[in-house]
Amino acid sequence: MNLGNVNLIWRREMRDQLRDRRTLFVIVVLPLLMYPLLGGVFFQLSQFRQQQRGLVVVAGGEQLEATTELPPLLEGDGFALGLLSGPPGSGKLTVQRAPGAAEEVVAEQREALAAGQTDVVVGFPAGFAEKLAEVRRLIAEAEVGAVAPEPPKPIVLFNSGRERSQLAYARVQDALRAWQRQVVRSNLAAGNVPVSATKPFDVEQLDVAAPKSRDALFWSKLLPLITFVWALTGAFYPAIDLCAGEKERGTLETLLASPARRGEIVIGKLLTVMSFSIFTACLNMVGAAVMMQLLVGSLGKATGGAAAISLPAFGSLACLLLALVPVAALFGALSLALASYARSSKEGQYYFMPLLLAAMPLTVLPTLPGIELTLGNSLVPVMGLVLLLRTLIGGDATAALPYVAPVIAVTLVCCWLAVRWAVSQFNQESVLFREGDRFDLRRWLASLREHRDATPSPAAAMVCVALIFLAQYATRFVLPYFAPADPGQGFLVATILVSQLACILAPALFVAFVLTTDWRRSVLLSRPPGWRDVGIAVALAAAVHPIGQRLAHWIRESYPLSEEVTAQLEGMASLAGESPPLWAVLLLFAALPAVCEELAFRGVVLTGLRKTLGPGGGVLVTAVLFGATHTVLQQSLAAAPIGVVIGLIAIRTNSLWPCIAFHATYNALHLGLAYAQEPLAELAGSSEWARWVFTEIGPEQLGYAAPIGILGGVAAAGLIWQLGRRSCGSPHAESSLSLAI
Amino acid sequence: MTEPTGDAPPIAEELGPTPGRAPRRPVVEVVGVTKTYPDLIQGDVTAVDGVSFSVAAGEAFGLLGPNGAGKTTVLRILTTLLKPTAGVALVNGFDCSRQPELVRNQIGFISVGTAVYDRMTAWEFVEYFGRLHGLRGDTLHERMEWLFEKLRMQDLRDTLGAKMSTGMKQKTSIARALVHDPPVIIFDEATNGLDAFAARASLNVVSELRDAGKCIVFSTHIMSEVERLCDRIAVMARGRIVDVGAPDELCARHDETDIEELFFRLATEEPVAQAAAAQPEGAARP
Repeated sequence: MNLGNVNLIWRREMRDQLRDRRTLFVIVVLPLLMYPLLGGVFFQLSQFRQQQRGLVVVAGGEQLEATTELPPLLEGDGFALGLLSGPPGSGKLTVQRAPGAAEEVVAEQREALAAGQTDVVVGFPAGFAEKLAEVRRLIAEAEVGAVAPEPPKPIVLFNSGRERSQLAYARVQDALRAWQRQVVRSNLAAGNVPVSATKPFDVEQLDVAAPKSRDALFWSKLLPLITFVWALTGAFYPAIDLCAGEKERGTLETLLASPARRGEIVIGKLLTVMSFSIFTACLNMVGAAVMMQLLVGSLGKATGGAAAISLPAFGSLACLLLALVPVAALFGALSLALASYARSSKEGQYYFMPLLLAAMPLTVLPTLPGIELTLGNSLVPVMGLVLLLRTLIGGDATAALPYVAPVIAVTLVCCWLAVRWAVSQFNQESVLFREGDRFDLRRWLASLREHRDATPSPAAAMVCVALIFLAQYATRFVLPYFAPADPGQGFLVATILVSQLACILAPALFVAFVLTTDWRRSVLLSRPPGWRDVGIAVALAAAVHPIGQRLAHWIRESYPLSEEVTAQLEGMASLAGESPPLWAVLLLFAALPAVCEELAFRGVVLTGLRKTLGPGGGVLVTAVLFGATHTVLQQSLAAAPIGVVIGLIAIRTNSLWPCIAFHATYNALHLGLAYAQEPLAELAGSSEWARWVFTEIGPEQLGYAAPIGILGGVAAAGLIWQLGRRSCGSPHAESSLSLAI
Repeated sequence: MTEPTGDAPPIAEELGPTPGRAPRRPVVEVVGVTKTYPDLIQGDVTAVDGVSFSVAAGEAFGLLGPNGAGKTTVLRILTTLLKPTAGVALVNGFDCSRQPELVRNQIGFISVGTAVYDRMTAWEFVEYFGRLHGLRGDTLHERMEWLFEKLRMQDLRDTLGAKMSTGMKQKTSIARALVHDPPVIIFDEATNGLDAFAARASLNVVSELRDAGKCIVFSTHIMSEVERLCDRIAVMARGRIVDVGAPDELCARHDETDIEELFFRLATEEPVAQAAAAQPEGAARP
């Protein structure tokens, strides 16, 4: 790649965008204007909200006013002073007295309530005041053994389908509760009982959070959300102009006919889009921060509460800016790839909605209360980054630290994939010179079948992955319905068969038979097994196992299983019974997954993906997808690196047999070690040499000793080097070179 | 092999008219090029079907054909914008499929599709493409000054693309295509939409370039342009070359006196009958 050309294209595109009035308006002027406007509108609307008054119809209220013993509930057209919070005279409720019996009024007012003419109806049944007076008399006279009358029950009607009614109901409840307390107090006073009898102790509340950390929490929710949403918006508009706009104006062809490579053009344009994305996000961040500062300040003054919140810490802003770069790259590359598909700016605008709809939950969900940074969350693109930022800005660096590496890894992989997609879009004639054509589903399907290759295309590989995920998702919901009342071994076997045959094997075979013309080549089974490679693969599994087992153990230690998952796994394990036969365990948990998963992943998926991602990228992405199909997250993390090793086997031998052999042996070793844990532990305790091989790595968990792990690693490297050397005449120099890169 | 050099020999200064215009070393060679693309409604569409021709330095070669004959597709393959489904296209010895960047350095491409940037002045525009071609500093600016003078564009220097007339845009595009002094210049219906004056000015530039020893590939559906400029023409219809030769040679071969009549006859006849005669003498055969 010629960096001079990239720089040249970037500088030209920047200048071009800065000369465009529309872009400048969306990127610079809009945020500067929007926040003062938003603030103003908010104030206006909040005034309306305060002016809304609820209408309360009270029936049977006259009996309360007839007696002087009770504290007043109603006064004029409102509740008595002191019953409702807020400054006096702010009367948020209007009380209308209805004559007649409470029951009748309540029946009459139902319709008015449903229609929204009335917000709340309160009915005091006949004899309410007398019953209260009776209670009071009993307390005052302190009659021993007197039976207290049934407490009277006033009726409160409201309509939860209307917001105004809900608000009014909440206020009426407040007033009634306050009045209830007043009644209790006056009753006690009549019986000469001190008021403290109802409140034997008082709680003193003390918030130890310094105002600074409280503000940090506030900013931690606001800033990542605003920044990321605007990073996307700021990326998309320039992207449309730089791709679809240029197509429309005819300048894209001029540029494509210049000596600049497609990659240089895409990176130059991507840098432009990123620059605008970062700039917009920063500008909006400043705008939002200033607006919030003013808004909270003036609200605080109005309610007599705390003054303005303090500005976010410098470190938080630095983290945010740092995170903004990969986010801008990710959104920029996605926008460019999508916009390059559009024939005109107008068409480009249509593609913004789906992108925004996909990105919004990822940025909004993490700001909701109750969602904490966990290993699972941290692996979701964008969402993990938002959560990490939230935790960092909130001032909890120690909680964030273990998740920095996974979040960075996921973000970088996503960026890389998005950039590759954008470049591949620019290399496709059908995208760059797309002409408007009529879409016909039947013909499209027919042409898909007509144009299928001998081996799966990248799209067919992704179809296979999507089918696998869909099938897994569906079985997770459907299987519990078929569970017998007392599930046992039979159900466990059925579950495993369904999860392997229906969820993994069936999609792979569907793609291999329907979307390709040569199913054998599609799943790397066109040649008979090369026994030398199969043997090496078996040895490789044994060599890798110590490291793999340590890795799985370390993952479980660092990111422990949640109680829920542990309970589920124990439940499944208990189905197997006390001591299931070893052959059955090996068949179900080693051989079956080895065949099904290898046919799907190293077969269909890797064959398809390596066509666009190259051998190295193909192996990596296939391994990630392979990991993702393992339902328990900790298993997924342990499986992905093993997926890389099996991918290497597939690339170097170009055959699925060694992959199946490796997978089956690896799983079998894992099961065997668990199966023979007790005798092996005894052996390790008694024999000197066995101590060099096995050691306790956790409570009741046997693992390999460190020297064995190191030895295994060295052996594994040598075995991988040996793989495929003779069977293909010479090592696959090209593929191993690109893998190394 | 001529590498484009920064020290810019002028478009029509040193070489002068080529006596006799005998075809010399072929600079552009197209051998059996086919382009098929999938179409949802019609199935696979063959836009170009086994086209072969070659063009030498100092020669102007015209691709003549009605709309949809496949002229633009052939020229887009030559400019590496499209990859051929089958066949080979070579420009100055470089393969259009395998060495696209080197090929693009050898050509100047002007078509209806290659517009100028609205928000750039003519000077900035030409300078930008000069830089993309690897020209820098004084070499670039001297070449640009000379081009702007030659094409009478001095008053356009600071005019933004959006403010230019069609003729001005065309001049700017020509300057852009010539800034790196390419040995091959490809014009794809480049006089479309120009008024008579602008079209004439463009054609003058083309003929000057040819006389300066450049290899010109020119596509059009306007007969008069062909008669005026082209040493040889290929008549295209339905993705194939129906016949190739010098205009008077073609007229003689088909017993026609008027080139326009000849064009209509060749373009509407069934191509199969002409396929045998389609191979030009001296053209590379697959």
